Amino acid sequence: MLVPLLQMRGIVKHFGGVHALRGVDLTVGAGEVHALLGENGAGKSTLMNVLSGVVRPDEGAIEIDGEPVAFATPADAQAAGVAMIHQELDLVPQATVTENLFLGREPRTRFRTLDRAAMRRHARELLDDIGIELSPSRTLSSLRVGEQQMVAIAKALSLEARILVMDEPTSALSDSEVERLFAILPRLRRRGVGVVFISHRMDEIAVVADRGTVMRDGRNAGTFVVAETAPAEVIRMMVGQPIEQLFPDREPPRDAVRLAVRGLTVAEHPGGGRTEPRDVDLEVRAGEVVGLAGLLGAGRTELLDALFGLAGHRLSGTVELDGAPVRLASPRDAIAAGIGYVPEDRRVSGLVMMESVAANIVLSALPTLARAGWRRASRERSAVAASIRDLHIKTASAESAVGTLSGGNQQKVVFARHLLREPRLLLLDDPTRGVDIGAKSEIYRLLARLAAGGMAVLVASSELPELLGICDRIAVLRGGRVVTVLDGRSATQEAILAAASLEQHTTVEGASTAARREASGRQG
Amino acid sequence: MSVDTTEPTAEAATKRRRFVIPERFFTLQSYVALIMVFLAAIVFSPRRGGEIVFLNSENLLNIVRAVSEIGILAIGMTFVILIAGIDLSVGAILGLAATGTASLLMVHDFGVAMTILIILTIGLAFGATQGYLSARLGIQAFIVTLAGLQVARGLARIWSGGQGIALAYGDGADVAPRAFSLLNSRTFNGTVPIPALIFAGVGVIALIVVRKTVFARHVYAIGGNERAARLSGIPVTRVKVTVFAISGLLAALAGIIHAGQLNQGSPNDGMGYELDAIAAVVIGGTSLMGGVGTVSGTLAGALLLGILNNILALNNIDSNVQLLIKGVIIVAAAGIQAFRSQQK
Repeated sequence: MLVPLLQMRGIVKHFGGVHALRGVDLTVGAGEVHALLGENGAGKSTLMNVLSGVVRPDEGAIEIDGEPVAFATPADAQAAGVAMIHQELDLVPQATVTENLFLGREPRTRFRTLDRAAMRRHARELLDDIGIELSPSRTLSSLRVGEQQMVAIAKALSLEARILVMDEPTSALSDSEVERLFAILPRLRRRGVGVVFISHRMDEIAVVADRGTVMRDGRNAGTFVVAETAPAEVIRMMVGQPIEQLFPDREPPRDAVRLAVRGLTVAEHPGGGRTEPRDVDLEVRAGEVVGLAGLLGAGRTELLDALFGLAGHRLSGTVELDGAPVRLASPRDAIAAGIGYVPEDRRVSGLVMMESVAANIVLSALPTLARAGWRRASRERSAVAASIRDLHIKTASAESAVGTLSGGNQQKVVFARHLLREPRLLLLDDPTRGVDIGAKSEIYRLLARLAAGGMAVLVASSELPELLGICDRIAVLRGGRVVTVLDGRSATQEAILAAASLEQHTTVEGASTAARREASGRQG
Repeated sequence: MSVDTTEPTAEAATKRRRFVIPERFFTLQSYVALIMVFLAAIVFSPRRGGEIVFLNSENLLNIVRAVSEIGILAIGMTFVILIAGIDLSVGAILGLAATGTASLLMVHDFGVAMTILIILTIGLAFGATQGYLSARLGIQAFIVTLAGLQVARGLARIWSGGQGIALAYGDGADVAPRAFSLLNSRTFNGTVPIPALIFAGVGVIALIVVRKTVFARHVYAIGGNERAARLSGIPVTRVKVTVFAISGLLAALAGIIHAGQLNQGSPNDGMGYELDAIAAVVIGGTSLMGGVGTVSGTLAGALLLGILNNILALNNIDSNVQLLIKGVIIVAAAGIQAFRSQQK
């Protein structure tokens, strides 16, 4: 048979006492899009770090075109034709597309000066080659995330990359950007490039991948041909045992109105670029879970930010908690009023990565656990232990660095921090983004439990099945306004999308979104 | 299609393991270095009648005394660097404080307690102002304290008319109270220098603050991830202002000690001390990126610099060579830290 483009065999890697990879195989053919799946912590990232030379394996062999290779540095891997498109892109935001494409290997004229004409010409060719419609003279930071990703791909290909690793490439993209990304994959195929496509989303894998490999606990859990395998089968490989019920049963909310927002408006930030809330009226009752739906840029995050005091003095209108007006000039005010917030990006806004799990959990509650500013170690320890137990946070110890935890467990640490303050209202922004199905299910159950205890929950999400699965009511945002509030039991994805995208002629996008959400809904 | 047809041939190629330094070494780095420099000092120490001069208790206490001013500055600097800031003004504040101390005692006939209170208040206010400008207006600490350095030197020169003010002790007007000369004396039967004692006291307090207070946790969190700290309800501006205020206060304290040790205050005192303080912090393993570091490491770093100066002086080595050696040690300390983060 043909020699595969890439063959990794029996890869083993320990980190200290942690057995991250226990003999993993991966085979990718030329022109193949190969999906790599697995829960967070299954070892996908480590395997890809081995492939791209970031991490050296303890055991195992890598072959490219049948030739054994060993990468000591990322540069070695790059020279052998392996390129990784990171979630955080390795590009210079202040430079133009052209400058980024030729960074470090700029063409020179006879006089050793920069040959800008040649750069422009080659840049145009590179972009045309894979069908990217983009002006090469634009500054990278002015591009959307998806467009930046395209530039990264073009750059990788111009470096003669033959194996392209895409780590959750769609996680930060809008639907139309995802379509553009998928449109260039066939071109990569034709060029004989092998693509390793890491994703959590079965619907995407069904569209783009030829075959897939599932990892679990640092081992191969199976390899499958996408066209011949049902999503349910793949999910079973991922989790080991089937999840009986993704969404928990809920108790009905109580009558008392916990949060009452009237005429909430936030003045535009001088910097702009955000969709600030405009004249928002909203109520959340005790024990109720209310969802915030809307397209990208509809103002979901901005509304939650405002309710947590991040809009500061630009906020007008009234916000009442249990009938009493609250001052929301800063997150401190919000926390003091009994509001908790699990923000969108836990790495940027949630966690202090170099600190321990314990330090991260008690961060907000420190003053309440202390006496007159002096910490009381025993109270902190028992609070941390209780949090780890209650939220099933999987960590080697309370003193482990929080960065060593999986995405889902990191998210639980942020939850734990705010729950220690016993909030009356919990705000959540895409709480299950980048966490695996097992952790998702746990987070949903946690929300149900908190609501049953009387907490009011306001959750923004880009995943409609999730909102439909856990919310009593769903407020749909568009342009910073609440356009409609739907009942969680009777609402449908179509109804939410229609309300979210009305007047915007995004029917094509909306329909494809519906199809994708539908597919990802089936996996639950 | 993933049938193995080729024999595994490349296993040996990837099997070699990397040389890995245990993490524990890095956390103890500054102490290891301190011990090494200490042992080296014993080896290279001159001997007098069989006695190792370096190990003479008077010499050892002198080292602590000599390093007390830099050490006190470095403790304040540790907190500043932990919040990913920098304070370039501490040397100049020391000069302002020394000048002010001499002026208040000699020219204005203030008592010792009143003088110390006023000077410490000036240092605190100066630091707090810098902190406010940096935290509230978002000007980089580097720029604010660079400006603060100029302002403090300027103030000191205006205060003293550009001249150093010598301290003379006695009773009555135009001399300083004898009590102030205590700073130049030794306690415990004339063994332990008072400045060394004050340094040790400040060090112990700082160690307790780091271990036991909510404030210190807030400092680490802000340095580690300021946005997360803010979203966790930490009063970020207040903590930052406090940190710079502490640095200013300790710089003023060091200035008072400086005046006492030299029996004078001059507006040019403490030139470049901020760089020695930063060096002690860096050798102590605190990251300039913020969020990582210890006060105990800083104390070790300051003592290391003190021993180094001492052993080179005991051997009559040119002070310019001392500068070279200090530079090499700073680069080595920072290099080891860089290696640490690469290893992760």
